[in-house]
Amino acid sequence: MAEKLLEIKNLQTHFKSDRGVVKAVDDVTITVNKGETVGVVGESGCGKSVTSLSVMRLLKDTPGKIVGGTIEFEGKDLAHLSEKEMRLIRGNDIAMIFQEPMTSLNPVYKIGRQIEEAVMLHLKYDKKQAREHAIKMLKLVGIPRAEEIVDEFPYQLSGGMRQRVMIAMAMACNPKLLIADEPTTALDVTIQAQILDLMRNLSKERGTSIMMITHDLGVVAEMCDRVVVMYAGKVVEEADVFTIFENPKHPYTEGLLNSVPKLGQKIKRLESIPGNVPTPGNMPQGCKFAPRCGKVMDICTKQDPELKMIDKDHTCRCWLYQESGVLEV
Amino acid sequence: METPLVEVKNLKKYFPKKKGLLGGNKSYVKAVDDVSFTIRKGETLGLVGESGCGKSTTGRMLMKLLDPTEGQILFEGQDITGLSDNQIRTIRKEFQMVFQDPYASLNPRMKVGEIIEEPLIVHGYPKEKRQERVLHLLEVVGLSAYHADRYPHEFSGGQRQRVGIARALAVNPKLIIADEPVSALDVSIQSQILNLLKDLQEEFELTYLFIAHDLSVVEHISDRVGVMYLGKIVELTDKETLYKEPLHPYTKALLSAVPIPNPRLKRERILLKGDIPSPSNPPSGCTFHTRCPFATEECSKKVPKLKEIAKGHFVSCHLY
Repeated sequence: MAEKLLEIKNLQTHFKSDRGVVKAVDDVTITVNKGETVGVVGESGCGKSVTSLSVMRLLKDTPGKIVGGTIEFEGKDLAHLSEKEMRLIRGNDIAMIFQEPMTSLNPVYKIGRQIEEAVMLHLKYDKKQAREHAIKMLKLVGIPRAEEIVDEFPYQLSGGMRQRVMIAMAMACNPKLLIADEPTTALDVTIQAQILDLMRNLSKERGTSIMMITHDLGVVAEMCDRVVVMYAGKVVEEADVFTIFENPKHPYTEGLLNSVPKLGQKIKRLESIPGNVPTPGNMPQGCKFAPRCGKVMDICTKQDPELKMIDKDHTCRCWLYQESGVLEV
Repeated sequence: METPLVEVKNLKKYFPKKKGLLGGNKSYVKAVDDVSFTIRKGETLGLVGESGCGKSTTGRMLMKLLDPTEGQILFEGQDITGLSDNQIRTIRKEFQMVFQDPYASLNPRMKVGEIIEEPLIVHGYPKEKRQERVLHLLEVVGLSAYHADRYPHEFSGGQRQRVGIARALAVNPKLIIADEPVSALDVSIQSQILNLLKDLQEEFELTYLFIAHDLSVVEHISDRVGVMYLGKIVELTDKETLYKEPLHPYTKALLSAVPIPNPRLKRERILLKGDIPSPSNPPSGCTFHTRCPFATEECSKKVPKLKEIAKGHFVSCHLY
C-alpha cells in the first residue's frame, strides 16, 4: 500500500468577523501519499486555498484559526506545532508555490538572494555554496543565462520566468511535499504548458508529492493521480482521476464536469449548474449544495450528509449514496 | 454578396513609447499591426490569443474607444474611422460592449436599474417607457424586477455580468463586442453566461465579436475564429476547420497546449520555446519565427501575408 505523507483529518479553519464566524474550511479530509499528485478542485470561496494555508500554518496574520482536526505530516501534527517547530518544516519539507509570481517574490531583492535565503537556513550552506546551489536550481527549471538571472530583480522577468523562479525556490531544499496554489492561472496557455511539464518532470525525478490546488479541470486531468472536489468548505467527493472524470457520483462534480466546454466537442448548449455559490454568511441548511442540486430530496435541506466511502478509494458526501432514515429529530 | 456587418481593413494601432531624453528616437508599441477581417450578420467571430497579442485593442478600436493609427473600419458599409465624436455617439447605439471585469465596469454608486437606464437616456429613449424597458431587460438576462433597486456590490460575479449584458442590450444594438466576458467567472457560472449569450443571439439576431484567451470557450461559442499573435492575425477560419486542420504552427501549438479535461487522453504536445516577445520590439520578418519549430531563413526576413489557402481559410505563414 502506498505510504502516507500528509494526512489532513477533519480540518476546520474558521475566520472570526464582525458578523460572526465564517467556516471557510469545515471538515476537510485529504490524504497525500508519497510521490503522488493530488488535485484539489473547487470554485472560488470553497476553501481550497485556506486548506493549503492551514497546512503551511500561514494564517497567523489573518483572523483565521484552525479550530479542529489534525494535519499529520511524517508523524507530526502540524496543526499543533509551535511557530518555531513549524519554521523547520516550512520551506524545507513542505514548500509552496503561489498563483501570482509577481506578488510572491520580493521586488527589492535579487533573484539569487531570495533562493539563497531558504538554502542557507535549512541546508546550512555558506554564501558561496548557496549561490552555486541557486544557479543550479535556476538551470534545473530551465532558465537560460542562469548565471546572469541570479543577479536580476523580479521585475526584469516575464510571468512565466517568475513562476519558474518560484518553482526553483520551492524545490531548492528538495521538499517532500510541494503545495501549488493555482500555479498556472495567471499564465498564458503556451507558458502554462511549459510550467506543467516542468512540474511533472521534477516530481517524477525527485519523488516529490504535489498538492495541486486549481479550478481548471483540464489541468487536473493532465497532472493528478487523485482528485478531491470541494464545495462550500467541505470535501464532497474524492477518487482517482479516472473515476472522477468517468464515473462521478456527486451531483456537483457531475455538474462541474458538464459545464466546461471541451475542445472539439460539438454541443449546442453547455449544461450548467443553476444559481450561485453560497456566500459564507448565507450558508443553506443541510447539504450546502442542495439549493442548486437537480436531485435534491427532502432530507438534503434538513441534514448535512457525511463523507462516506461508497466504493474502494471513492468517497462522496451525498444523501443519494447514504442510507436513508438516519434523520435525527 | 451581402455587405458584411463589419469590415476591418488593414487596421493598425501604434502606441508611442516615451520619447528619448532629447525627444528623438520615437519608438512605438505595435499593439495591432495590419489586421483585416469581416464579421457577417448574425455570426460570432472569436478572436483568440495570448496576452499582448492585440485582441482587446482591436475590440476597443471597433468600439471607437481608441482611434486607429491607420486602416479602416466599415460598419454596414459606412467608414466610421473618420467620424467626429458627435457622429459616433449616434451610431454607437448599433454596437455595444460587454467587459471582462464585472466588478470594475459597473458604477458602484448607481443602482442596477439606473445603470441599465443610462444608455436609454443617452440615446433618447422615450422617458415614459424607460422603466418598463429596464424591467424587461432584467428579465431577459435572467434577473428579477426587484434587482433594479439594488447596488452592484449586492450581486455575485455572474449576476453582475448579467447586468453588464442587460446594459449592452438596452439600445437594441446589432453588434456586441464581448471582451473576455467569462474569464473572471467560476466554471459553473461561466457556462450559465455562455448559454445566455447564445440564447440572446438567437432571440435578438445579434452579431458577436467574442474576444477571449480560452480556446475551448471561443471554440464553443464562435462560428469563425481568428488567432492573433503579436498584433497580427495568423490564422482565420471556421471553427471546425481550425480545430481539425489547423495550419499555422502557432495555432497548432496553442491547440495542443490547452489542457483537456480527459485523463485518458494522451496527446503529442508541441511545447513552444521561450516567452512571447514584447510588442515594443517584435522580431523581424514573421513575428513567430523565434518560437516556431519550422522556422527557415526566409521567416526571419520576410513578413508573411495573410493568404486564403482554401475557401474561407486564411493563414499567414511562409509554409503555405
